Amino acid sequence: MRVMVMVRANADTEAGVMPTTQELEAMGKFNEELVNAGIMLAGEGLHPSSRGARIRFDGNERSVVDGPFSESKELVAGFWLWQVRSLDEAIEWAKRCPNPTGAQSELEIRQVFDAEDFGEVMTPELREQEERLRAQSAARQA
Amino acid sequence: MRFLIIRKADEETEAGALPTPALFDAMMRYNGEMMDAGILVSGDGLRPSRDGARVSFRDGVPTVTDGPFTEAKELIAGFSIIDVPSKEDAIAWIRRWPVEDANGNARIEIRPLYEPGDFGEEFTAEWLAQEERLRARAGTPRG
Repeated sequence: MRVMVMVRANADTEAGVMPTTQELEAMGKFNEELVNAGIMLAGEGLHPSSRGARIRFDGNERSVVDGPFSESKELVAGFWLWQVRSLDEAIEWAKRCPNPTGAQSELEIRQVFDAEDFGEVMTPELREQEERLRAQSAARQA
Repeated sequence: MRFLIIRKADEETEAGALPTPALFDAMMRYNGEMMDAGILVSGDGLRPSRDGARVSFRDGVPTVTDGPFTEAKELIAGFSIIDVPSKEDAIAWIRRWPVEDANGNARIEIRPLYEPGDFGEEFTAEWLAQEERLRARAGTPRG
């Protein structure tokens, strides 16, 4: 199964504080272990919310609110996608992560929906279309 | 510029409500348009937080808390990554988000991703090379 592992933001990540060389080294080593174990699918860091935006929908109306957003501990500062056998395996890997945002850090692990989870809503036609889109996307990234 | 597009959770996604066929059709059409425009990098939906967990670190010591988590509107229900020339282009695409989603009340957050050049001098040429090697190998099936 696939999981998304999110790094929670804090005051430093929201202020755009860059990691030290030592922190980059520790995270690089952890990422390498994830790749070697065949677990790593993707991983990215996010700029502070001051460089982002929110779009609210109300029927056909759309309103745009520019960042920053105030509730920093509910924001995301970065994420990985991992291929694991179970949630427990993901938790074990997460525990080994170097503190991603300083002494106090939090990771949230969430399971990703697979096509099978959608049952009959996912008709064979939709499934075919989904697979075609994913194949196109993978080909473009390669 | 690459952007993470975050579809915020709500009571329905946290309850594990599956999309209706109409929503599925609309999202697939929307994703297809982004794919045709050459901007869609990836995208997925997340199961409710009750199927997840949190790992908190205090001075290096991890503590695990199982889901569900209560603050539904701050959770994430799904995401995409798009590659567009500017933040304005990203917003223009998100304005077209299907109205079938959340009965036209979806909340979306867009966040630019760090690119290797953003890390400045801390990120030496050696690190860039290692980063590229890791990216090239990511997604290799486990043995």
